[in-house]
This record gives sequence, C-alpha cells and structure tokens, in this order.
Amino acid sequence: MLEIDNLSVKVDEKNILKKINMEIKDGETHALLGPNASGKSTLVYTMMGFPNYKVTGGKIVFNGKDITDLPIEERTKLGIASAFQHPPSIKGLKLSKLLEKIGRRTIDTEKFSVGTDLLEREVNVNFSGGERKLSEIIQVIALNPNFVIFDELGAGLDVENLEKLSSLIKSELYDKSILLITHRGRILKFLKPNIAHVIIDGEIVCSSEDWKKTWETIRRYGYEKCRECELRSDRL
Amino acid sequence: MKNVGNANYVQIDYEIQTHENEGTTILPSPEAYRRFKWTKEYFNEKPKEGYFIWARKSSDRPLITRISISSKNVSQNPANLVVIEKDVKARIYSICNAVKKDLCGNHVGSSKIILKENSRLVMNHFHRWGKEDRVNSGLEIFLGNGSEISDVYKCLEVPMRLNMENNIYLEEGSSANLVMTILAKHGEVKMHDSTFLNGRGSRGISRIRMIGDEKSRIVAHSRMIANDAGTGHVDCMGLLLAEDSSINAIPELVNNNKDASLTHEASVGKISEEVLNYLRSRGLTEDQAIDLVVAGFLGEEDPIVIEGQVIPLKSYM
Repeated sequence: MLEIDNLSVKVDEKNILKKINMEIKDGETHALLGPNASGKSTLVYTMMGFPNYKVTGGKIVFNGKDITDLPIEERTKLGIASAFQHPPSIKGLKLSKLLEKIGRRTIDTEKFSVGTDLLEREVNVNFSGGERKLSEIIQVIALNPNFVIFDELGAGLDVENLEKLSSLIKSELYDKSILLITHRGRILKFLKPNIAHVIIDGEIVCSSEDWKKTWETIRRYGYEKCRECELRSDRL
Repeated sequence: MKNVGNANYVQIDYEIQTHENEGTTILPSPEAYRRFKWTKEYFNEKPKEGYFIWARKSSDRPLITRISISSKNVSQNPANLVVIEKDVKARIYSICNAVKKDLCGNHVGSSKIILKENSRLVMNHFHRWGKEDRVNSGLEIFLGNGSEISDVYKCLEVPMRLNMENNIYLEEGSSANLVMTILAKHGEVKMHDSTFLNGRGSRGISRIRMIGDEKSRIVAHSRMIANDAGTGHVDCMGLLLAEDSSINAIPELVNNNKDASLTHEASVGKISEEVLNYLRSRGLTEDQAIDLVVAGFLGEEDPIVIEGQVIPLKSYM
C-alpha cells in the first residue's frame, strides 16, 4: 500500500525529517507517536504533498507508484486522504457545498450524527474542537480513500466524543489502511494499531507490534526513554 | 414589449410597462408624481423615469422591477420611490442591467425607500453591466420605528465605472441589514455607504464583500454613525485575485452617544496558500479551489419564487 523509503524533509531550510522508513500494508493501522515538534505533522504534510515541505532524500511509494513529486490533488485522486489537526477556516464556503464538490461517496448525515446546522455552516468557522474533527472525518469518508492519515484525532476531545468518532472510523473505514498521528495516545485503545512507531527529533527511534507496551513506556518514562529502552530490540 | 416572468415594472431603454399586484400600486414615477401630491416630499425633483411602488397590504408574492439598457448609447435616469405602509411586509427583486456588453450606456439611478412603522422589506438588487457602461446610483432608506429591512445588493459584472452612495437612516427600534457584493473585473468601483442610528435600540449591520479580479480598482467606504443608543457593525471583506487589482476598504465608526455600541472588522487579501492546499488535499485543482472559495465568498443567490415557482434570474437579465 504505502512505503516511505529513507525520507528526509526540509522546511524553511531546516532539516526536520531524517531518513524515515515505514511500510503500511493493505488494511493495516499504524500509529506514529512522538512529542511536540518531533516531525509528526511534517510527515503528514509531506505525504500529502504540501509545497513547503521539500523532500531532500528518499521517496514515497503508494501502490507501487512513486508519488514523491506528485501534486497534492493527484495524491488524493490516487486514494490518499488526511484529516488535519488544524484545518483552515474558509469564510463563505458551507460544509455541505464542499462535500457536494468533493464527494465520491454519499454521506448519510443521520447515521453520522451530523446536524444540518453543521453542514450549513462555513467550513471550520467557529467550529468547536469536536465539530472540527467530525467535519474532517466526514470529508475524508466522502473522498472514499484507500489510505487515511489522522493527525491528532484525539486532541481536544473528551472520551465520549473520541469514542464516537473512533466507532465512526471503524464502521466507515474498516478495510482502509490508516496512519494515526498522536502525541497523547488516547486514540490507540479505540483503534488498536498493528504497529506503533515512535518519532523523536525527526527520526523514527522505535517500531513495535506491541503498541500497548510502547505506550505504557512513554506514559511512564516519557518519550526520551524510547531512545534506549528494551523495546528497541522489538524494532521491525 | 414582452413582460418576462410577470415583472411589475419593466423599463427597456425608455419603453415602460407596469403590472400591479393586489394591494400594491405600481406606476412610472412621473405618473405617481402627478397623481399623488404627497410623493413630492420624497422625490427630490420631478422624475423623468423610474418606478413608484406603494405597498399598502402585505403579500407573499414578490414585486419585481427590471430596468435594462438594450441599445447603444442609451442614457437612463430613473428616480425610484418605494413606500411600505405601516405593518406591511413586502419583498422586492430589483434588476438593473445592460443586455449586451458593448452598449456604452449611461445609467444614473436614484432610489428612495420609506419604511413606515413596524413594516418589513426584503430587497434584493441584482445588477449586471457591460464593460463600457457608466453607472451612478444613489440609495436612501428611511426606517420608521420598529421597521426592518434586509437589503442585498449583488453586482458580479461591473461597468467601466460604478459609483454608489447609500444612506440609511434608522429610527427607534428599527433594524437594517445590508449586504453588498461586488465582483470587479476591468472596472473601477467606488462605494460609499453611511448608516445613521438615529433612534434608541436601532440596529445596523453593513457587510461589504468585494472581489478584485483583473484590472480592477475598488474603494469601499462604509460608515456607521450612532446618534442614539443603538448597535452597529461594519464588516468589509476583500479578496484580490489578480496582481493588477486593488481594494481600498475603509470602515469608519462614529459614536456620538455613550450608550451606543459600534464594532467593525475588515480584511483584504488574496486566498491563502493554506486554504488552497487544504482544498487541493480534497482532490480539487488549484483553479477549482479558487472558484469554490470565490463562489462561497459571493454567497448563494436567493432564487426568485412566484407562487411556488422558481424563476431563474437570467430570465430577467
């Protein structure tokens, strides 16, 4: 499905990602854990092809095709989508209009508990944290992708909302490949990743099938422990 | 002359046709000036052309006026007067346009709207002009106690020169909600609107949406003046789409009463890269993303509905 091969990325002349490797197979869910400013969001924007994120080495391959230099919209057309942590507000553009324009799949608003009120509001303008996440997830589902990135899905959500959104993802994207980007890890117990990676200072320092152990280590000792903990031997 | 879509006042070049709705008098302004002496206090001078609408009863059926230029070098000078009687509710669609792009027309229009106590008016103006036309328009709205107006002006094809001056006067407990939307391409637009909060509890909102496309210049001066304890808000938003376009947005608040509350917001700029990239990540090309943002910025058109039937605006243009 998706292969990141020795990927190095520069933003504003600063090296952020250093030789990242990751392989996400069909239907797998991976988690990328890391502290603030470790390069998680940089990886999201690079995978999506945002122009300010310059690839200085390595490549991204999606379904056998090198997409490293592909424009953003071409990647989306191939089946990659992202729910962003900080999507911009777009004055004047209603969410319903955006969905109408981008939709490759009809959205059952009742099933998704999306009030007509939210659909008739301007995209991300004065949305609450929960509404913003819901809007992102609906858009992603409407795109009917094969591979989805969720950037900090749990941030700013209470447990009830997190559970609600997680079950929405499980029911609507159950057969898709998923990359969960997270700082706090609360989402992991809902979406149970196959593999958890830890990124620190732009480098993946650990990749493990035992996400529970990985998260427990981080929770107890902090991210710095990942640099030298015993789970390193579990690295894939 | 064919009366399209049952418009109540149709003027094409200088030829005029009227059609009354129940409870509403609709006449060419010169005839109203002759027939009703009281109108003299509202017309600044003896009108040469234009419409007179006098709504005495509420109606669900909207009133439609159309003033068009369809021949070369026509010079129109309509003076319009709209009077909405006490407690009456009305809706008016006002269309002004040039039917072709190269008619070199001249349109100098002045309109006065009188809303009597507790009356309500929803007014939608749609204007479309040719590249070589010149247009000057003046609008005055007088709101009696407790009356309300929603006045929406939209011009997506501007003439070579467009000058607009709007003055709105609000008495006690009245409210005015004005939205002006302009898309300028190859043209120069000057807009000046002033909202006077002259009565306690009056509420005024003035929103201006401007898009500057190729070879265009827009100057929008929007003033909110509180002479009594009212609330007012001015909102000027501009979007620049071309390097050779410019927008000058000047919101101004004048507060002469310590119990009044006035606010404003203003922004002028291009569509941010962040927004474009976000929309591209939804599968849209950059051009599609720009079109979508622009369409959203311009707002949806309120369809003309007569007795349940939706009539496309273009059938009047």
